[in-house]
Amino acid sequence: MPKRKIHREKPKEKFSYDPRKVLKALEEYGRRVLEDIKAGKNPYFDIPMRGISNVYFDEKARVIRMGDKLSRRYFLNVAHARKFMQTLLIMAYVKRLVSEDKHASLREAYYANKHTIPGTHENTFEDQSESDPIIEDLERMLGVLREEMHLTADRRGYIYGDIVIRDGEDEFNTSKLGRGGWAVPGTVEHLQFVEVNVDYVLVVETAAMADRLIEEKYAQKENALIVATQGQASRGVRRLIHRLHYEQGLPIIVFTDGDPYGWYIYSTIKQGSINLAYLSDKLATPEAKFVGMTMDDIKKYGLQNVTEKLKGIPPNKKGGPTGDYKRILEEMEYPWFQNKEWQRQLKMALEMGVRIEQQALANKSLEFVAKEYLPEKINNGELLP
Amino acid sequence: MAEANQLFKEFKIQSVSEFFRRNAAMLGYTGKVRSLTTLVHEAVTNSLDACEEAGIPPYVRVEVEELGREHYKVVVEDNGPGIPEKYITHVFGKMLAGTKAHRNIQSRGQQGIGISGAVMFAQVTSGKATRVITSTGDDIIEAWVKIDVEKNEGKIVKKERHPNPKGWRGTRIELEVKNVRYIRSKQGVYWYLKLTAIANPHAHIELIEPDGKLIVFPRSTEEVPKPPVEMKPHPRGVLTDDIYRMSRKTRRNTVRRFLVGEFSRISDKKVDELIEYIAALRLIKTEQDKNVQEQLYKRLAEGDVKAVLRSFRGYTKVVKQVAKMMEKPPEKLTWHEAEEIVEAFKYMKFLAPPTHGLRPIGEENIEKGLTTILKPEFVTAVTRPPKVYSGGIPFQVEVGIAYGGEIPSGFELLRYANRVPLLFDAGACVTTSAARSIDWKRYKVDDLDRAPLVLMINVVSVHVPYTGTGKQSIASDDDIYNEIRLAIMDAARKLQTYLSGKHRRLYQVKRRKTFEKYVPEIARALSILVGVPEEEVKKYFLSFIESRFSDSDVEEPAVVEEVAENA
Repeated sequence: MPKRKIHREKPKEKFSYDPRKVLKALEEYGRRVLEDIKAGKNPYFDIPMRGISNVYFDEKARVIRMGDKLSRRYFLNVAHARKFMQTLLIMAYVKRLVSEDKHASLREAYYANKHTIPGTHENTFEDQSESDPIIEDLERMLGVLREEMHLTADRRGYIYGDIVIRDGEDEFNTSKLGRGGWAVPGTVEHLQFVEVNVDYVLVVETAAMADRLIEEKYAQKENALIVATQGQASRGVRRLIHRLHYEQGLPIIVFTDGDPYGWYIYSTIKQGSINLAYLSDKLATPEAKFVGMTMDDIKKYGLQNVTEKLKGIPPNKKGGPTGDYKRILEEMEYPWFQNKEWQRQLKMALEMGVRIEQQALANKSLEFVAKEYLPEKINNGELLP
Repeated sequence: MAEANQLFKEFKIQSVSEFFRRNAAMLGYTGKVRSLTTLVHEAVTNSLDACEEAGIPPYVRVEVEELGREHYKVVVEDNGPGIPEKYITHVFGKMLAGTKAHRNIQSRGQQGIGISGAVMFAQVTSGKATRVITSTGDDIIEAWVKIDVEKNEGKIVKKERHPNPKGWRGTRIELEVKNVRYIRSKQGVYWYLKLTAIANPHAHIELIEPDGKLIVFPRSTEEVPKPPVEMKPHPRGVLTDDIYRMSRKTRRNTVRRFLVGEFSRISDKKVDELIEYIAALRLIKTEQDKNVQEQLYKRLAEGDVKAVLRSFRGYTKVVKQVAKMMEKPPEKLTWHEAEEIVEAFKYMKFLAPPTHGLRPIGEENIEKGLTTILKPEFVTAVTRPPKVYSGGIPFQVEVGIAYGGEIPSGFELLRYANRVPLLFDAGACVTTSAARSIDWKRYKVDDLDRAPLVLMINVVSVHVPYTGTGKQSIASDDDIYNEIRLAIMDAARKLQTYLSGKHRRLYQVKRRKTFEKYVPEIARALSILVGVPEEEVKKYFLSFIESRFSDSDVEEPAVVEEVAENA
């Protein structure tokens, strides 16, 4: 099969990571609190609000962005005092991490700061569910990434393909590390792309499918970098995709299951998520395209026998819509799905009441996906926006 | 008069024990516990009244000594003015000798036979004479008194005279009784004296129980209440019998002067009006047509007496007849005429009765009494202005509330009529239903039955409407019921203010702690962030909190509330 050269786009922005920036912001906020208290004023933090009420879709940049609603967290407020204290605790912790150039996981950060407040039976943090939101608050407040504060999440996802990466003192080609590929760390800021010999990035939802493609030598034959997200893409993976696109100009093609969850994974990679709306500029890749699975694939490749019924109650039935149906209807409302192609796909899914998994292609043959399905669709440009 | 004679004759031929058995319930000598309480009540009441009349702050000492099974000696001693020798038989012997029984006066005595009943009770149960030791300051008289049933008067069985070198003054009586029992229950002597002490903060009351335990209810005010004064009856509150009886006793020489002089709110002009009303009523009764009669009654009730009179021919003759009746000596007044007067009173309008004779305990004294005896953390009292029930009987309601402190959990209602504790028939009492009708939750008392709350209600009146003969519960009259409710609500509002203030203070302390406990954490973190020593940061924060909380009430700053953390 002839290799078709896919045009590389020019990188749009580059992000620089500067530890001094984080330290400066932390000290700045600390100093302001101290000045307020000295002046007899009730000290506070202004934290951009989280949640659906404070996000909007930026039509021009085509990403989900955070609104400008702030929530003010006071010291002298019974409802705020505890969180105010927790915020300062994490800030001090981050300062130590960054200045000592150490990294800690979210769970480590939780345990490092958890202790009983003297003279009470109260802990500074009762549960990790208390410290995680504080860290997210700090990201929004300071406008920096969690990774820039040297806090990492569990790693998930791996890549395989002919690119050379420098990670600290190590330099390696991700296609020469065996079939397992290279696991993407929580923090990708410090990675340097030494050599990039691929034409595009194929983002795959399931590890099973990624392994299939690796075994079929898809990466080599199609000159692609395979990125396995293993479900919802982790921040590290999203950030890596973003960097590969904007710094290396690689096109991004997403391959998920043909169900509401798969389409949501795509939507997150493309436009960002509501929870991390403030990071869309660093995580989202609006230029990403979608290759499958689509509802059209079912007919086109004769996969009617390997579909599965959607879960939940359809909208026209009593009690509906629930489950998958409800999810599809919600996705139909997303601004970035407001185009003919996507509306048609989603409507078809509702009408047919079925979903189709990536692995269903194995019904044809194991090689089918690597030899026919993907190359055909990608080379013919049968991609959804 | 014939009836009265008959009654008296019958009374004479009854045996003493018979009289007691027949009238036990009415006199309060029923049940082993209650009989003892009544006995003590009569003696203590006598002592308090005597002291008050002499203006002496009372010191009453009650001693109950167990002599055998259901056999006790009750000793009551006071620091009163003492009883002059020649009156001893009069005070302790004569049944119905009570000077107040037929007077229109607010009194503690309810039964009208008072201490002589107690003497009689002791006599019929134990057969022993009552020992009286008294002195007005001269020699001490020691006398054993019995009641001569034949003559209905006291008889001194034995008398001794002792020198009184220390000038002791007062009275001590010793009664020996059987068929009674001492129990420390809510109907017993202990409870009775405790309640009496609350309502009589000017009295020092002591009790020595059969087991030798001394209980002291100390005095909390030196102010001795003025004795109540007699009030002339109000025309709306009198019965035919009252008028008939009073007309026989009066020294006025015409019915007109008798009415003007012996009743309140009756003037010469009112008597002229009364004549017209009586005449009108007489004439209406002659009317044959029932419908017309109805109409005339209605018009009379509307006060149109002149028109009613004019509708009869020759009415002036009748008016003259009635006017003549007003000029005859009152003792010539017939029962029928008295009935006519009472009936006419019902149609006439009068000023509300005077209330100067009522003697409430007073807000300040109720508070003192409750504080001294119950030791609560909060106390309040309300004395309502006098009101009138059933048209002409003045009454007044007082309420005290004591909360917390040494008061155990559980609502307690202390009922009083003219300062006398009511210990029985609580369920039938208007005070109970009024207290229960209050929505206590509105006054920050969330669970009434578990609140450390004592509610005291005192109904003061010349004539308290009791239910039944026991005189231990007050009848459910609408006017009284409503007045009690208003009084409770008044007092409860003050309690509410106190309770919400208490909550607020507790809340402030709690709030302050919330902030202070975080200060060490904040100081350490901030010290790491900006490099200022921890102790210094801590000082800033603590003085900030101090300044904010010293400005009495700190309002929470208005803030955009944090969104629920739903990551």
